Amino acid sequence: MTLGMSGSLLSPELLRRLEQLQLLAQRRAKSHLRGERRSRARGLSVEFADHRTYVPGDDLRYLDWNLYGRLDRLFLKLYEEERELPVRIFLDASESMTFGEPVKFDFARRVAAAVGYVALCGFDRVSVLPFPEHANELAARRGLRAVRGRRSALAFFQHLEQLTAGGPADFNAALRRGALEARQPGVAVVVSDFLDPAGYEVGLGALVGRGFQVHAVQVLAPEELAPTTYGDLRLVDSETGAHQDVTFGRYRLAAYQQTVRNFVARLREFCAARRVRFYQAGSGDSLDDLLLKQLRAGALWS
Amino acid sequence: MNFLAPAAFAFAAALPVVILFYLLKRKRVLKLVSSTLLWQKFLADTQASAPFQKLRHHWLLVLQLLLLCLAILALARPYLAGVSPGGRLLVVILDASASMQSRDEDPTRFEKARRDALALVDSLRDTDQMVVLQAAAQTEVKQSPTSNKAALRRALQACAVTDAPTRLLEAFKLAQPLVRDRAQAEIHLFSDGATTSLDEFEHEGLPVVYHRLGRRADNRGLVSLDVRAHPDDPTRRAVFAAVANAASNPAPARVELLFDGQLLETRTLELGPRETRPVIFTVAQDRDGVFTLRLAGEDDLPVDNEASMVSRLPPPVRVLLVTRGNRFLEKALAAVPRAEVSVAADCTDPARDFDLVVLDDVVPTVWPEVNLLAIRSTRTNWLEITGRVEAPAIVDWRGTHPLLRFVGFDNVAVAEALTVKTPPWAVSLVEARETPLILAGEFERRRVVWLGFDTLQSTWPLRVSFPIFLANAVEWLDPATTAAAQLRVRAGDPFRLPLTEVPSEVRVRPPDGAALTLALEPTARELVFGNTHRCGVYRLALGTNELAFAVNLLDAAETDTTPRAEIRFGRYARAEATTLRPANLEWWRWLAAAGLAVLLFEWWFYHKRTA
Repeated sequence: MTLGMSGSLLSPELLRRLEQLQLLAQRRAKSHLRGERRSRARGLSVEFADHRTYVPGDDLRYLDWNLYGRLDRLFLKLYEEERELPVRIFLDASESMTFGEPVKFDFARRVAAAVGYVALCGFDRVSVLPFPEHANELAARRGLRAVRGRRSALAFFQHLEQLTAGGPADFNAALRRGALEARQPGVAVVVSDFLDPAGYEVGLGALVGRGFQVHAVQVLAPEELAPTTYGDLRLVDSETGAHQDVTFGRYRLAAYQQTVRNFVARLREFCAARRVRFYQAGSGDSLDDLLLKQLRAGALWS
Repeated sequence: MNFLAPAAFAFAAALPVVILFYLLKRKRVLKLVSSTLLWQKFLADTQASAPFQKLRHHWLLVLQLLLLCLAILALARPYLAGVSPGGRLLVVILDASASMQSRDEDPTRFEKARRDALALVDSLRDTDQMVVLQAAAQTEVKQSPTSNKAALRRALQACAVTDAPTRLLEAFKLAQPLVRDRAQAEIHLFSDGATTSLDEFEHEGLPVVYHRLGRRADNRGLVSLDVRAHPDDPTRRAVFAAVANAASNPAPARVELLFDGQLLETRTLELGPRETRPVIFTVAQDRDGVFTLRLAGEDDLPVDNEASMVSRLPPPVRVLLVTRGNRFLEKALAAVPRAEVSVAADCTDPARDFDLVVLDDVVPTVWPEVNLLAIRSTRTNWLEITGRVEAPAIVDWRGTHPLLRFVGFDNVAVAEALTVKTPPWAVSLVEARETPLILAGEFERRRVVWLGFDTLQSTWPLRVSFPIFLANAVEWLDPATTAAAQLRVRAGDPFRLPLTEVPSEVRVRPPDGAALTLALEPTARELVFGNTHRCGVYRLALGTNELAFAVNLLDAAETDTTPRAEIRFGRYARAEATTLRPANLEWWRWLAAAGLAVLLFEWWFYHKRTA
């Protein structure tokens, strides 16, 4: 791995530290493709799992001849088959992610890059699913589907960098479609601001219901956490174009922040109730803190 | 509770306006944000895009409505009917005489007086009342007692200075009943103190506060003017004038004499401090015209620097002497210049062809209807003869009357005289102990001089005073003299002109321009024009006749612009000049204005905080 291959997304120092991490699968991998993950499937590996009685048609190579010699019965040695862990990263590329200083989408992209890199290093299959669809980025998006192997990291990063954010998005629809499309459930990382007027419950619920191990990363801009524009405002929603008249002053900042905290708390509760790991970060926060402390504490990786 | 100004409740219409302001939404700044989701949650209850929002409980609104209600209530001027200790009554006398035009105050004494009086209005308390009197030749009540400061200010602004002399007596007579029997009443006199005697108020103890105006007396002025026939040369006219210097320094004065606007003669005088000096010009006059005397040079008071006099060429006086024979009388009358004497034994017609008739101890068949010198002749409706007296001793005579100018009654003995009571129309000129001997006056629109004794029964015709008296009498009884006197008006006094017939139209052109048309009753026998507050020559058009009369100040008291330190009421009472006087200068208005400013600031600050 050369230092320059990370592009502008992740620093070499961070990459080096990410290489030491390993995605943790809460459940046994259900992928059909062989990988480095323990799976419930019995198959070829060095890890012994169990015996079972021979039935005609079994591969004779896996007969336990020592046991046949002692008991005069045919047993088959079962090994755990190591399979890959599919990692799906849902990246919110809606218009609302273009806000913030620094831009929320950049932060989200770096999170996606870091998660993807860790997965690639673990020989897992990574898919980044940006939503909404952008017709002019089909090549880059295709390049982000089912990426495997650490050698693909450079291309992976480059494709990530080619992504742009814009347009309205339907959070729930995107997640539901992503859940249905997946042949096997695996780890799902949702990086978004979760500021969809239609809510986030349906989408996250669909992922959970499909059996994904869901990690939700909420990225909010500092401006959203503590607005600095005061006065009589007519706020225009960047995605829906909806108007919202508001009179805002410094003295109402605390009340607003309480609203934000309530919103985040409700999201956190929702996630906790569905065993969805939830992380929250400002786009101005340190990426290291999120990746190396929060995600590790949330058992995405170790 | 009642209200002085219930109309102010109309301001209650402002209440819905305040509420409307709250209903109206403010103009908003457009801002693009990532998502309004959080804001919607933040302002879950602020909805709708209509211009009005639901009126919510808002302390600021409540306070503003409360403030507005209080302001409206205050504007309605509520009061409680009750007994109050009663306020003061201030009688402001504003001297509007000519000397108040002096320019030693900025800009004039009168304007300064008006300013001071306005300041006094400001210091009035709510229960105080004020009266505004303007004192000049006539005293005008500009404002009857009121507490209404606006009306008082308006009244003071309506006051205007005149060219007339001061008659403070009249003003004090008006003011006295107002302040009498009131505990808190004051007369505030704004004047320079030049006034006639106020002796009759000596014992009244008037509460006068004298606000003295004026700083210096740098003024020279004409204080008298007369034009008469020259004593030595009847074809020439003598112009008598007196020039006074009010300053305490010597001052030069250049006197110019003009006739109908043409400069005839200039004379330079050197006036000593506070000196009055006579000037006499002798000029030829070939036609009727206006003599104008002018003092050249700058001083504080310009109005007394010019005086005019209408001078007509004197016509001969036609005298009818009705006598049974009196040589002394005939000779004395004949010696009078301009007199054309006719002698008759009786008067059989009203004698309208004559200017005056002398009745020497006769009772005429027909009483003449012209001016009359009656010697022992009397009509019963003139006066009441009560009897006769032997050898009345002359004890007194009125030397100031024009009839008795240069006339003395020393060594005059009278053998016998009628005793009368002085009638109301006449004044007694010469008095004995028992009876008046000579009466003069105006009766039924003509002048009458009545002698109660026969001159031949006295030593008077032997004295030098007798021809002088007759000359005076002819002068006084000459209708031309009366007419000339009528053409000489003091500023502020009315101009009167007897009319024999009512002209179709009467137009007056005052010296400052705009002509006035006077309306006369068809039965009017006299023309009276009262608006003579400006000095100068007034021209009168009576139908086709033209007439000019001169209005002059010619008042030594006004010319002497020295500010008086005190106003004297008789010998003992006086009011000293007050320059400073404690007054309650209310400033609640300033506080109220400051309160309003604070309120505005609060509003601004509220918005700033919101912004």
